Amino acid sequence: MPNKNGSVYGLTILSPIIDDEKVTPSHDLQIRKYLATLPTGELSPFALAPATHLARLVVMDDVIYVGMPACEEHLKSKYLVFESNCDGELDDYLAGLAASVPEQLDAIWSHCVGYPGAANRQAFIDYMKACQLETTFYFAAVNDKSVPETLRALQTQHAVSEFIADHQGMEPARLQAEFMQFVAELKLAPVPRPGSMGEPRYIKTGGRNE
Amino acid sequence: MSRLNETDIQGFVLRGYNLPVARYLFLHFEDAERARSLIGRLLHHVTTGQRWDGGKPQSTVNIAFTQRGLAALNLPDATLLSFPVEFQQGMKKRAGILGDSGLNSPERWDELWRGDLVHAWLGINAQSAAILDSRYAEMLELMRETGGATVLASQDAAAVVIDGKSTTREHFGFTDGFGNPDYLGVDRSSQPGQGKRMPNGSWAPLATGELLLGYADEAGELPVAPVPHILASNGTFMVYRKLHQNVATFRSYLDEYAALYGGGKEKLAAKFIGRWRDGTPLDLSPDNPDSSIAQDPNRSTNFTYGADAEGTRCPVGAHIRRVHPRDAFGFSGRLINRRRITRRGLPYGPFVAEGGPASDSEERGVIFMALNASISRQFEFVQQQWIEYGNDAHQGNDKDILMGNHGGRGKFVVQGDASRANPPLICSKLPNFVELRGGDYFFLPSITALGMIAMNLVDPR
Repeated sequence: MPNKNGSVYGLTILSPIIDDEKVTPSHDLQIRKYLATLPTGELSPFALAPATHLARLVVMDDVIYVGMPACEEHLKSKYLVFESNCDGELDDYLAGLAASVPEQLDAIWSHCVGYPGAANRQAFIDYMKACQLETTFYFAAVNDKSVPETLRALQTQHAVSEFIADHQGMEPARLQAEFMQFVAELKLAPVPRPGSMGEPRYIKTGGRNE
Repeated sequence: MSRLNETDIQGFVLRGYNLPVARYLFLHFEDAERARSLIGRLLHHVTTGQRWDGGKPQSTVNIAFTQRGLAALNLPDATLLSFPVEFQQGMKKRAGILGDSGLNSPERWDELWRGDLVHAWLGINAQSAAILDSRYAEMLELMRETGGATVLASQDAAAVVIDGKSTTREHFGFTDGFGNPDYLGVDRSSQPGQGKRMPNGSWAPLATGELLLGYADEAGELPVAPVPHILASNGTFMVYRKLHQNVATFRSYLDEYAALYGGGKEKLAAKFIGRWRDGTPLDLSPDNPDSSIAQDPNRSTNFTYGADAEGTRCPVGAHIRRVHPRDAFGFSGRLINRRRITRRGLPYGPFVAEGGPASDSEERGVIFMALNASISRQFEFVQQQWIEYGNDAHQGNDKDILMGNHGGRGKFVVQGDASRANPPLICSKLPNFVELRGGDYFFLPSITALGMIAMNLVDPR
């Protein structure tokens, strides 16, 4: 299945943005303004909702023809592009978004043509799927592991390397006792929250790293 | 490709001089016309890449300019604005990209580099201190006669002398200066392991355009270069970084972790770098230094990591493996061919032998100078992705142990095996062994370009 790589789903959705000259600021500008204020860490809507590895929202104004000879052509609409690498089946993922962050979804997609709102779960899923494009090929930035498995693995890796660093050269009986206690504590530790394991990253536009 | 025109290329670009002493002068131009007349006079002194058939010269002179320097020489705006963005910005403004923060941040640099006055680098290398002084006096006299430049500061550097002999050691005690790349057309005694790895396991020179502007690079493209073409061609970019070495910290850290390490102190030191202190590559001789390998040009750089994927011989995060991964990323090494740099440079400050009274505060380190056709694609990539970040080397957020800006939080893993003499070890709470004290990005023009600058003939049209 082209949208899937192992258990990870590569989702691409293009939703046409409402073109209404009576509205100021225009709908695309309203989306941009809202997206710029979205948190990126643990409070990101994609961290609050389950199953997102990484996601990106882009307002696509137009595409410019760069060939020769020059010609002027335009998209029929502006689009909101939503790309996400997520776990599991698409219906479950979309249902999870609608259940966890309906206000944020509505604040974004209410500027798009035909959006039914997140409250009507089935209509929301049908709408998103109607806007879906086949992804066909995407950068598989995650192993074939779910988001909780990945977070758990990172937590274990950090904890184990810290344990080793702090216990090198320790007398074996004491090392064993401390290791057993460490393993017991690690087993009981809650899975870290999505977005909590990395350095804070802020929303960036293109070119900032050039 | 035919041979390069060595008479048009500054000698500093084509070869490491291996002269024991150097003085780098940092010049400021007050008046464009007088500065141009100085450059015109300097032209007769600049050492070119011509072969030294008559033996090594007593001294050499080379020159390079910052963007501000080229602006002070009144180059046309259409030329100045055609230089790559990172060169126009200069190294200070690139601090965010380079990870030059905290202890390495520009506000902690030497006064010279905190300001924006450096217009040119004038490098003098010499056979002896006396010859250096006399060439230096000659340069000062030229500046006095023309009124072309003032010397803001100078930096002395010299090969470390041990037991009366000039060596290629640096202050941590390692033999340095192995493994500069070979380039197509550069007439140089070529060594296996120094170019790019070919699918059949042999080594071939890198494309000329990885070093020099005006030639095709490894992608078959001309590197981004200023206009006109003739200003750029046969020139290159130089990164200058003054790297202070915290010798006391390095030695005490090594002692502290050697006490936990079953392989012994010298082996641990070798694991940090990927070479024993005498230069023997760990991958060729994991148990002992072997001077017959270190001193054999056919072997000292002729190795790969493919058979050591676990890093049990040379740790995956060892310094030389991170900054020159050879085949470690697979694809016959093709992923690294556009990330190579040519290193020049010498240590500065007095050497203190192992066991001697070393402190961190004494002025001591290495003047790191890297030459490349694209600072952003080559030097900056290596600094950002391979030194300050570990993902490509499968080291997560771990930075390069030697060069990393760790701030006391770094970690380095020595992979081991089941043998008693080669156990695993995790080194944590890494301090900064090396601190950046300043530097900048320079353009090192061809002889033709220097002449055009001197005669005010740079025409971007």
